[in-house]
Amino acid sequence: MTLMSTCSAARLLGLTSIWALAWVACNNNPYPPTEAGEKVLYSSFREAPRSLDPAVAYDTGAHAITGSVYDTLLEYHYLKRPYELIPGLATDLPTQRPGQAGYTVYGFSLRPGMVYENDPAFSLGMPGRMTREIVSADVAFELCRLADPAVNSPVVEPFSNIQGFQEFGQALTQRREEDLAFSNLPVHEQYAALGGIEGVKSVGDHGLEVSVRSDYPQIQYWFAMPFTSPVPWEAIAFYDGEEGRPRFADHPIASGPYRLQHYDRQSRMVLEANPNWYGAVHPEWAAPGAVYPSQGAPGDLEAGLLAPEWAGKPLPFIDRVEFRREKEAIPYFNKFLQGYYDAAGVIKESFDQVIDEGGLSADMEEMGIRLEKGVEPTIFYIGFNLDDDTVGRPGGERARRLRQAMSLVIDSEEYTRIFTNGRGIPAQSPLPPGLFGYDEAYANPYRSVDLERARELMVEADYPQGIDPNTGKPLTLSFDTYDTSAQGLLQYRFFTDAWRQLGIDVKVEATNYNQFQEKVRNGAYQIFMWGWVADYPDPENFLFLLWSDLARSKSGGPNTANFMNDRFDDLYLSMKSRPNGAEREAEIKEMREILEVERPWIELFHREDYALFQGWLENVKPFGMSFPMTKYRDLDPAERTSLRKDWNRPVVWPIWVGLVLLIALIVPGVMTFMRERQ
Amino acid sequence: MESHLASNGIVAALFLAAGVTVWMVRRSRLWSSAFVSLWRRRRFALLVTGVYVAVALLDSVAWVGGDSLAVDTVARHEARSVIDRVFGGNQEKSYSAPFAEAEFYGGGDLRYPGRHWLGTDMIGRDIFYLTLKGARVALLIGGLTSLIAIPLALLFGISAGYFGGRIDDVVFFLMTTLASMPGLLLLIALIMVMGKSTLAVCVALAVTGWVGFCRVSRGETLKLRELEFVSAARSLGVSEFQIVMRHILPNLMHLVIITFVLMFSGLVLSEAILSWLGIGVDGSWGQMIDQARNELSRDPIVWWNIAASGTALFGLILAVNFVGDALRDVLDPRTIEDER
Amino acid sequence: MGAYVIRRLSYGAVVVFGVLFLLFILFFAVTSPDDIARKALGERVPPAVVEQWKVNHGYDKPLFPAPGHWADNMLVEHYRRMLTFDFGRSDADDTPILERIRKGMGPSLALTIPLFVLSVLVAIPLSLLVAFFRETYIDRAGVILAVLAMSVSVLLYIIGAQYLVGKVLHWFPISGFDSDPRVIVRFLALPIMIGVANGLGGDIRFYRTVFLEESNTDYVRTARAKGCGEIRIMSRHVFRNSLIPLLTRIVVAIPFLFTGSLLLESFFGIPGLGAITVDAIQGNDFSVLRTMVYIGSLLFVVGQILTDLSYALVDPRVRLE
Repeated sequence: MTLMSTCSAARLLGLTSIWALAWVACNNNPYPPTEAGEKVLYSSFREAPRSLDPAVAYDTGAHAITGSVYDTLLEYHYLKRPYELIPGLATDLPTQRPGQAGYTVYGFSLRPGMVYENDPAFSLGMPGRMTREIVSADVAFELCRLADPAVNSPVVEPFSNIQGFQEFGQALTQRREEDLAFSNLPVHEQYAALGGIEGVKSVGDHGLEVSVRSDYPQIQYWFAMPFTSPVPWEAIAFYDGEEGRPRFADHPIASGPYRLQHYDRQSRMVLEANPNWYGAVHPEWAAPGAVYPSQGAPGDLEAGLLAPEWAGKPLPFIDRVEFRREKEAIPYFNKFLQGYYDAAGVIKESFDQVIDEGGLSADMEEMGIRLEKGVEPTIFYIGFNLDDDTVGRPGGERARRLRQAMSLVIDSEEYTRIFTNGRGIPAQSPLPPGLFGYDEAYANPYRSVDLERARELMVEADYPQGIDPNTGKPLTLSFDTYDTSAQGLLQYRFFTDAWRQLGIDVKVEATNYNQFQEKVRNGAYQIFMWGWVADYPDPENFLFLLWSDLARSKSGGPNTANFMNDRFDDLYLSMKSRPNGAEREAEIKEMREILEVERPWIELFHREDYALFQGWLENVKPFGMSFPMTKYRDLDPAERTSLRKDWNRPVVWPIWVGLVLLIALIVPGVMTFMRERQ
Repeated sequence: MESHLASNGIVAALFLAAGVTVWMVRRSRLWSSAFVSLWRRRRFALLVTGVYVAVALLDSVAWVGGDSLAVDTVARHEARSVIDRVFGGNQEKSYSAPFAEAEFYGGGDLRYPGRHWLGTDMIGRDIFYLTLKGARVALLIGGLTSLIAIPLALLFGISAGYFGGRIDDVVFFLMTTLASMPGLLLLIALIMVMGKSTLAVCVALAVTGWVGFCRVSRGETLKLRELEFVSAARSLGVSEFQIVMRHILPNLMHLVIITFVLMFSGLVLSEAILSWLGIGVDGSWGQMIDQARNELSRDPIVWWNIAASGTALFGLILAVNFVGDALRDVLDPRTIEDER
Repeated sequence: MGAYVIRRLSYGAVVVFGVLFLLFILFFAVTSPDDIARKALGERVPPAVVEQWKVNHGYDKPLFPAPGHWADNMLVEHYRRMLTFDFGRSDADDTPILERIRKGMGPSLALTIPLFVLSVLVAIPLSLLVAFFRETYIDRAGVILAVLAMSVSVLLYIIGAQYLVGKVLHWFPISGFDSDPRVIVRFLALPIMIGVANGLGGDIRFYRTVFLEESNTDYVRTARAKGCGEIRIMSRHVFRNSLIPLLTRIVVAIPFLFTGSLLLESFFGIPGLGAITVDAIQGNDFSVLRTMVYIGSLLFVVGQILTDLSYALVDPRVRLE
C-alpha cells in the first residue's frame, strides 16, 4: 500500500513538473514578464552599427542610437513641415555677421549649467568626478576631430567650408609624421598644441564662433546632426580600446535625452532616460528641445498630435528603449504582429513587403495597427557611366539618344508598385517634394513611358530595333552591382526586362563588393543603381551629386555617373550660396533642363518614409530624415499587455492530436510483437 | 564558344554515354541483374528521377531563331531551349495566383489569364516555367560537381591505395587537411575568393566534396591490390597502368555509382543554403526559395512560389535518395553477401 | 599508449599547419588587402588612412618570406598569430575577435549541446526499435519516413516550423534569445526541435544499418539459436558491438558543437558563433571568417584524436600501436 502511494506520488510529481516545464516553455513572450508594466519601447535592428562615434556614424542604424544619445546645438521641429530648425543645446538659433573676406561668422551660445551623463572617464580631469559641465570648447574639440584624418570622418567635405578646417588636418598629419613625441600625445593636447581650427573660437565657456565660407549657408543644418555634438576630451582619452576598456566608438559619453545602458552588437542595445539631461534637471527652462511642441503643421491637431496630455509637457515620455536584433524578416514581422514590437524598427525594408498598396489589411486595422506616410528627402536612380564609350560622352549624340530611349521605357510607377508597394513618388528630377526648387507641375518628357518614341530614338541612335550595326546582334550592355540578394536580382530583372523591349540586352553583373569596387575604380562599369538620402533639406545636397569636381573618375567623389557639364557646374556654384528666391529657382530650373536632355540618370523614385506602429504607441509622425524622434513618443503599457495576451493564446489541441496519433502508431506494433512472441 | 552549343554538346555526350551504359549493362550479367532488381524495388523513384532528367535535357537543347512565340528582338537572337519555347514568354506584371484570372494585388487584368498553373512571381514570371528551368540547374550542380569530384577522388584514391608509400602519405595528408576544415565555411570562402558563378560554386563544392569518396576508393584499392588476380597479373608482367584500368577501376565502378547518387542530393541541398547566403547559382530552386521566403509574411500570403520550388526540390532529392538507398542495397557487396 | 598519443598529436599538428597554409593562400595571397581595407573603410577615405588601416590589421607586409624579411612577412605573421590565438580585430568593425568568440560560445553551446544530446537520445532508441522490428511494416515505414525527413531542405524546416509553431500556435517566441535560465527554454525549444527533426532522418538510417549489420553476424545468430531473448540480444550484443561506428559518428560531431549552427542561429536570433560567422560572410569580414575556419579545423583535429582514443576505451580489440 505504502509502495503504491509513493509510486503515485512520484508519478504525480513527475506529471506536475512536466506541466510546469510546459507552462514555462509554452509562452511566446520574448521579454521578461517583469517588464510588462514599464514604459519600454521595443524596437529592432538588423546590423549592428559599425561605430557610435558621432564624428563617424553616418548610417540610419547608427543614428538610431547616436541621435538619441547625443544632443546637438540645433534640432529640427518635430511637427512642422517644411522642416524648421529650433535651438537644442544652444539658447537660440545662431547669429550671423560678416567675417573675413568671403566668410560669415556664426555665433552660438550654449545654455550654462548642462552636464554630461555620469561616467568614470571624467575622473581623468579631476579624481572622483563623475560628470562635468558641457562647454563650448567641447564642440570645438569635436570639430577638430572631424578635421583629424585619423578619425576618418565621412563628412570632411562639407565641413571644409569652415575657415582653416583643411589646413588644420594637414598640419596635424605633418606634425605627426615629423614629431614622434607629438604623435604620442593624447589627441586633445595635439589639437591644443596646434591652436585648434582657425575659424572656430570658443568665447568664454559657453560662446562659440564658427567662421564659414559665405557661399555655404547650409552649414547650419550640420549643427543639427550628431557630427557636431559636444564630445568631452576625457571620453577619447579614456576609451581607447586598450586594457579591457572599450573604444569610444562602442561607448558613447554624451548628454542627450537617453543614455546607452547596454550595448551588445550581436543581440541587444538598450537606451534608458538620462537623468543628467538638461530637460530632466532643469524642467523650469522649458527649453524648446525639452518640451513637446504646442504648435505643429496643419492637420496635426486633428491627428491628435497636439493633445493636451502632451503639448507643452516635458520630455521624454518613454523610460527605456530596447533594440533587439532581428536578422530575418519573417520572424521580425510576425513578432510585430504578435505585439512584441511597437513600431517598424530601424530597418524597415522587410516591412515594405507586407503592406499592400492601399494601406493596411483589414486584419491589421482591426488590431489597431496604424500606418503613417511622408516623403523622405531621397532619390533613387539608375546611373550611366558617362566615361563609357557606348553609353557615355565618347559616344556623343548617339549615346545621348540611347540614354533617352532607355529612360523612356522604365516605368517608375510600376516599379514602386511592385517593389515598395506603392510607397514612393515617381521621380521627375533629382529634387524630391518638400525641397526648395521642387516643381509639382514639372513632368520630365523622358520620364513617362513611351515605347514608340523610345523605338524611334533607337533608330536615330543607329540601333534599329536594338541591333548594333557593327555586330548585327542586339546591343549588349552591363548593369553592375554588388547586391546579390534574391530581392536585388528581381529588381534588376525588372529593368533588364524593360530594356529588352528596345532590343537591348542588358546583362546583370552581380559580383562581390570587392570586385565591384575594382570595376568602379577602373571605370569598367556601364549602368548602376544608386540611392541618396539627403543630409539636410536643401537642393544643393542633391545637385552636388552631379558636379564635375566630384566626378568619380576625376576625384573619387560621389558623382559616380561622371557627369561633367560646364554650364551645369556654373549654375551649381552660383545656386549653392544663393538664398531661396526667384533667381535660385530659375537656376535650378535650368539645371533640371540640362539633366532632362543629357540623362546621366534615370530618376526612379523618392522614397516615402512610413511608420507602422501599434495602437498603443502615441505621437508618431514620420520624420523623413534619419533622426530618431524617440523623446517625443509615448505609449500605453497597460493596453499593450492586455492586447498581447489576447493575441497570443497558445493553441493546445494539436498536442492531444499528436499524442493520440503516436499511440495509434505504436499500439499495433506492440501488439504484433506480443503475438509473435507468443 | 556559344554556351548553347556547349550545352547541346553535353546533351549529345550524355545520350552517347547513356547508350554505351545501356549496352554495357546489358552485356554484363551482374550489372543487368542489379538493374532489374533496382527497377523492381524503386520503379516509381526511378521514373520520377527520369522525368526530372528529361525536363533538364529538354531545357538544355537550345537553338537560335524560330518565331513561334511573341518574342522580343533580344530573345530572337538568343538560343532558347525547348522548355523556353513551350512554356516561356508569358510574363505578367506582378503576382498572380495559380489559375487566376486577375492580378493578385490590385486585381488588374492579366495578359494570359488562367494560364499560370502555379501562379507568377513578384515581377510576373510564370512559376511553372521557372520551376521547370530549375531542374536543369539542379542537375547541373549535381552533375558538374560530381564530374569534377569523382575523377579527382578516383585519381588520388587509387594512386594512394595502389602505389602506397610517399604518394599515399601526401594524399592522406591532403585528405585529412581538407576534411578537417568545416565544409560549409571552406565552401563559402572558396566562392568568396573565386567570385560568384555556376562554375565557381561547382568547383568549390567539388573541392570540399571529393575527400569522402577518395577515402573510400583508397580503402577499396588497398583491399583489391592484395587480391589474387591482381598479384597474378602483376607477376605476369602486366603494366601498372593496365592493372589499374583492367582490374582496379572496374571493381570500383559500383562504388562510383553509389557515391554519385548519394552525393548528388547533398550537393543540391547545399546549394539551397548557399542561395540563402546570397552566393548560390542563378535560377536554382534554392534561389527561388530564398526569393519567396519573405512572401510568407505578405498579407494576403503568397504561398505558391515557395510551395512550387520547395516541392520540386523535395521531389528530386526524395527520388534520388530512394534510388541511392536501393542502389546501395543492390550493389554493395556486403549486403549482396548477406542476402545469399 | 604514450607513444601512440604523441604520434597522433604530432600528426594533428602537421594537419593544422596544412590548414593554416590553405587559409593563407585563400585569404591573403588571392584577396588583395587593399580591397579588404576599402570595404571596411568606405570608398572615400584618403590613401593614407587605408595604409594606416593595413598596418593596424597586419596587411602591410610582404606576403612570403624572402631575403631581407625572412621573419617579417605575412606568412610567418599569420602562423604566429593563429597559433598563439592572437586573432586581432575584425576587418569590418574593429572589435576584438577573441572577445567576440568568447561571448558567442555560450549561446552556441546552449543551443548545440541539448540539440546534440537530444538527437542521440531520440535517434538511437528509434533506430534500435526499427532494427528490432526489421522486415515488418514498422521498419519499412521507419525507413521511408527517414528518407522523407532527409529530403527536406533545412530552410523549409525552419520556415515551416516558425510559421506553424511560432505564428499560428503561439507556443514559443518566433525568435530571440535571453540567457536568463528561467526563460531560456522557451527560446531554445523551437530551434532544438527543428535541429533534431532535421538530423533525425540521416541518423536513423545510419544507425539502423549499423544495428542490422551487427545483428546479422554469426555470433548473434548463435545467440539467437541458443534461445536468447530478442531484447537481450539487441541490448547486450548488438548495441554493445555497434558502439565503434556509433562513437565515430557521435564523437566526431562534438567539436562542431562549439562552432554553433549557421542557419538556426541566424533565423532564431541567437547571438552565437554561427550567427557571427554568417555576419562575417555577409559583411566580407575575412579576418573573422578565417578565424572561424581555423577554430573549426582545430576542434576537428582534436575531435579525431579523441575518437581514436575512445575506441580503445570501448573496444579492447583495438590496439593502440
